[in-house]
Amino acid sequence: MSDEEGILFLIKEDDSGRSFALLSFALVVGLAFHAYTFNITKANDIANKYALDTYSIDFEHYDVQGSDSLLIASGETDVLQLSRDIMGVEEGSLMAQIAFDISYSESSGQIGDPCDEVHVSIAPNGMVADWQNEDNVLSDSNDNCDPMTLLVYVYPEYVGESSEVVGSSANYWNDLWTNETYGSGTIELEISVETNEGPTSFATGGDDNEEITVQWTVSFFEVEITTLPL
Amino acid sequence: MAVDGLLAVGGILSLALGASGLILTRNQKQEVIWNKRFAAQILCWIFICKGIANGVRSVGYEGESWRFVLYSGHFTDQVFAGAIVLLALIFPVPLLRTKKQFKIGALLVLTYTLISIGAAIFISVTTPLAGLADAYIVCGFIWASVYLKFRFMSNYEDHKEVQGVSDVAILLLIMVTGHILFRWVGFLTRSDYFYFMDVYGGNMTSDYLWSMGLAAAAIFGIVILFGEIYQVIQGNVRGTSYVIFTYMTIGIVSHIVLAGTGLSGSGGGTDAGAGYTKWQSIWTEITSSVHFTMMRPILGLYILFHYGLVKISEDNEQVGKTMAIVLIVVATSALLEIIQSLIPLTEMLSAGILGIAIAFGIGWEERSFQSLISNPLRFPIRVKGLYFPELDFEKSAYFTLDKGMAILIGFVVLMAFILELSSADPFTMNSW
Repeated sequence: MSDEEGILFLIKEDDSGRSFALLSFALVVGLAFHAYTFNITKANDIANKYALDTYSIDFEHYDVQGSDSLLIASGETDVLQLSRDIMGVEEGSLMAQIAFDISYSESSGQIGDPCDEVHVSIAPNGMVADWQNEDNVLSDSNDNCDPMTLLVYVYPEYVGESSEVVGSSANYWNDLWTNETYGSGTIELEISVETNEGPTSFATGGDDNEEITVQWTVSFFEVEITTLPL
Repeated sequence: MAVDGLLAVGGILSLALGASGLILTRNQKQEVIWNKRFAAQILCWIFICKGIANGVRSVGYEGESWRFVLYSGHFTDQVFAGAIVLLALIFPVPLLRTKKQFKIGALLVLTYTLISIGAAIFISVTTPLAGLADAYIVCGFIWASVYLKFRFMSNYEDHKEVQGVSDVAILLLIMVTGHILFRWVGFLTRSDYFYFMDVYGGNMTSDYLWSMGLAAAAIFGIVILFGEIYQVIQGNVRGTSYVIFTYMTIGIVSHIVLAGTGLSGSGGGTDAGAGYTKWQSIWTEITSSVHFTMMRPILGLYILFHYGLVKISEDNEQVGKTMAIVLIVVATSALLEIIQSLIPLTEMLSAGILGIAIAFGIGWEERSFQSLISNPLRFPIRVKGLYFPELDFEKSAYFTLDKGMAILIGFVVLMAFILELSSADPFTMNSW
């Protein structure tokens, strides 16, 4: 290999290698500064940059209860409405679930008069809730005077137990668990009655209505997000 | 599926430049010196790689095929890194000075690229072996050396051809690392926005090597800045002096804007970080992102035509003109769109301003093209011929390079597809 073919020729030609030496010096000094900064001065900051924070999510829950009694004529449907306004709770309350306990007995007073047929249902609209939840119980009916319970899960993923989560930010988890949209609007419970005539009804007069008692329990929660130390 | 508009436009621009540049190099009738001819081809393939990487990344990582996006972007970036190293080894001054050296050099770069891709597949995309930043150090060192040698060559301070070599070295360095130069102050002030730039946080060695590559780019930028300040004092101002001053000045303003922030997104700090304010995000977009997506192809086009890597004659003028005009017009339109989105004007008013700008600017793209191709700069072969050895390559050698690059890019895209189908975990092979 002749001199002109080698890399040394390029380095030394014209300036005896001064530009190469100068640049090498600048690079070595610069990279030493960088190495010191990266590996010593800022080492902890860099190591922790992507260390994911752990957050504790704690819930405190409380129930609001109430009851209503409705006298419903045979063949008729009545509606019981429930909303934050009706319950008298604050607008921003975080609603977890709503349970309706429906009970009745044969109130005609006739001997041998069988229980009436009662059908209850909740239309999956009106209130912003977790309508797709498979554990929702949105309708029921019976004719044996047994109590019925309907259940609507309002806040998605809410199970009421404290948990620890990793990643994202405290704001993210706070936003996730303080969405006041869930529970806004009005939920409607529809109750239909079909009376069953007893054997003596021809003598004592017809059984043409029934009194239905609805006890509702609405679960609310408050959330607290705490960043756990690394 | 959201598409990052700027990345998509940048991807299209890069692909358009790469593909039409390759057509031009194949069809040109005039003789071009071997290192310029190879450099033109490599430059075009560099832009094809970047076009693919930016194009797929514009789709984002939220979709079902996120693995394909990640792998194909990473692999084409690795080919890009190998290609810029090979480019630096032959252009503007050939360090590989014989045919044998060229073959060995190209083979070594190819081998390293393949090992790097293999490491990304079989170990992790975050392993140090699969990193890319070493390319910045190698090519930056070569181009900065060439700059210093030719810019400060005694008795040739006013020699157009000699100074042209230093100009193209600056432009190449800016083309590849310009978005890092926008953050050079952060390197010196130990700011989070520089030292946190795209570190994964999982592998400290990888993070360190990556950050070292960025630091090297900043160091080369600072060396050139001081070199140009000295030249200005001596009264030797050149067009490229203004380019480097502009980039480094933006770096100073960027420090004012970004100081106090930590996180930054992917792609060498071209994206805003999670903790950025709206103003900081906008600033990052109009500086780093614009360079990364649009200035790179524009600088590539300028280097191709102005330094005679592709010679335009009557045979290929139409393709060249179309290519230049498409690039210039698309890049300008995208820039105007960004400005429009930032200026709080009504659509009617901004449309009016745009209309006036277009009316005054009619024909400018034609004029830009003519000034670009007229009198391409020659290299100082007559006065400094020893730097530019004359080698005689068969035409088949140039075709082999094209075929090799096409096969390599096709292979890595196919691998990305296979890894996507295999549901591979890019961050650890253990989870396969």
